[in-house]
Amino acid sequence: MIVGIKDTVKLIGITIVACCAVFVCTLFLSYNADLAEIENDITAQTGQLIFQAQKATGTVTVATTGGCLGVTSLILLLFYIKNYIDIHGKQLGILKALGYPNKKIAGHFSVFGLPVFLGCLSGFLAAFLYLPTFYHIQNKENLLPEIPIGFHPLLCLLLVGAPTLLFMLLSVLYANHQLKKPVITLLKEKKETRRTLKNRNNIPFLKNLRKMTLRTKKSLPFFMAFSAFCFSAMTQMAFSMKQLASEDMAVMMIGIGLILAFTTLLLSLSTVIKGNAETLAMMRALGYPDRAGEKAVLGSYRPIAAIGFALGTGYQYCLLKLVITILYTEFDAVQNYHFSFPAFAVSLVIFLLFYEISMIIYKRKMKKLSLKTVMTE
Amino acid sequence: MISAQNIIKTYGNKTKKTQILNNISLTIADRSFTVILGASGSGKSTLLNILSGLERPDSGSIRYADTDITFLSDSQLTEFRKEKIGFVFQQYYLLPNMTAEQNIRMGADLAGNPDYRETIRAVGLENERKKYPDELSGGEQQRVSIARALAKKPDFLFLDEPTGALDEKTGRQILAYIADIHQRCGVTMILVTHNQNIAEMADTVIRMNSGRIETEQKNQTKKTAYEIAW
Ligand SMILES: Nc1ncnc2c1ncn2[C@@H]1O[C@H](COP(=O)(O)OP(=O)(O)OP(=O)(O)O)[C@@H](O)[C@H]1O
Ligand SMILES: [Mg+2]
Repeated sequence: MIVGIKDTVKLIGITIVACCAVFVCTLFLSYNADLAEIENDITAQTGQLIFQAQKATGTVTVATTGGCLGVTSLILLLFYIKNYIDIHGKQLGILKALGYPNKKIAGHFSVFGLPVFLGCLSGFLAAFLYLPTFYHIQNKENLLPEIPIGFHPLLCLLLVGAPTLLFMLLSVLYANHQLKKPVITLLKEKKETRRTLKNRNNIPFLKNLRKMTLRTKKSLPFFMAFSAFCFSAMTQMAFSMKQLASEDMAVMMIGIGLILAFTTLLLSLSTVIKGNAETLAMMRALGYPDRAGEKAVLGSYRPIAAIGFALGTGYQYCLLKLVITILYTEFDAVQNYHFSFPAFAVSLVIFLLFYEISMIIYKRKMKKLSLKTVMTE
Repeated sequence: MISAQNIIKTYGNKTKKTQILNNISLTIADRSFTVILGASGSGKSTLLNILSGLERPDSGSIRYADTDITFLSDSQLTEFRKEKIGFVFQQYYLLPNMTAEQNIRMGADLAGNPDYRETIRAVGLENERKKYPDELSGGEQQRVSIARALAKKPDFLFLDEPTGALDEKTGRQILAYIADIHQRCGVTMILVTHNQNIAEMADTVIRMNSGRIETEQKNQTKKTAYEIAW
């Protein structure tokens, strides 16, 4: 069949992204929930203040990281799965042509819930195990009474059950939607949007190719831009945590931010290269030098990635600024948030290095495949 | 001249290997027309891929005049294909997002050939040139693939079952066109087929059976595309 349990191994990226996002959300949501329980026990003036401040910090972090990580991860995963199903349109067509009922084929796509479930669950469990340490860090100066760790079933349901169900449902629905197309449409190569293009017969092949690459596979440049956006926002936000939160928290956030950022970028780079594998392989077979193909095809994604990175920078700045202005105005103890140039510079350098190096690695991997393998995949 | 010596090719992993080409040696004279005959699965496509530098053999050598292409680096091999080789694939392999004309230009531009329109006319695709591959019949796609190879003006043209998907009329037309190209341009042609009749058009016929060359025979008289049986 099209997707089995075995295929989910390839979807490890999904698991990692889900795990990180859920980990962060669990930590802070649990903390806030447990904090609310002891609200009445706090009597001291300083305790009250700390309580307010910590509640605000928790909300800020959940709002920024949870919001940013969660929402972007969600979009990214949806996109990845959509792309996966699109690529396998031909196989869907074959199964449909053979006479498998739509429902049965689409049902198989519910396996996408599995990597999401595993990711969310491990994120939740990891967070739960980390909670004692985390509470200790949060209450280092013992300004608050001992905070008991509570298990919140609702939280578990919200962060593990809901995403799993959501992704299962969406995958099945999307596959089902695709399967509504006539068999022949599924079997033939994707038409996408090329019909709207003007006739470009009179320009040289390479020039045409450069223009077509971005326009005919519209979802790929979007994916690229989005992952650059995430990378930029996540790394910079993580580095900025140093200004806002304690050392330990900053280290944790930077770790998670980087893992997420790298995973998303890898997901999109591999998707982009796979999406253009046919063209590159065919050009190589005809005798186009590798550089020509890479420049015309993969080179088009570079400016897109740059735009995504710039937008991500702006986004994380505005988000942090906004959240902090809204939540922190009452506490003059908390410093104002400034745009961090070092964070920007470091993120940019890491991004450039990582982008180019992974491109080279993927291109190498691609070149080892024979034309037949690429064309019949 | 192409001279292949002791070509061996195996597929599979360490535990289970299948030898697809079993010590194949052959020479192909310049400007000749060679047909390789063999049953399905006998290794014809594999041999063609290796001879044309699309794939590397496990061992053995392939010499084009003075160059042994098995010693070329990947980029040198690409350059070599650019300069010398035209290939018509059994499964066409057209780029789905490009029109017929653009697919043909893909070959033409590589050789800096401005007369690709001529090639399009010659394969009879004047009216189809703005269509995309999924709007073309199998035979039309095959002709685009042939035109893409020819537009490169190659010295060596490899054709893998070029008429496999065509009906008699179009098949004969294409064969006649290929033979004409062979006459006029002095290109060395190697054609793979399982159709015995096409062999009568060739200078040399090589018969393959499970990875080995069984016989190699020269035709005294050649037939035209319209004289052979179908
Ligand atoms: N990449 C591969 N991995 C493993 N086995 C392969 C691979 N490619 C080809 N084979 C095997 O090699 C043998 C020869 O294949 P090849 O494509 O050369 O046959 P052919 O003579 O061209 O057949 P046909 O006339 O059907 O096209 C077949 O038995 C096939 O199963
Ligand atoms: Mg074959």
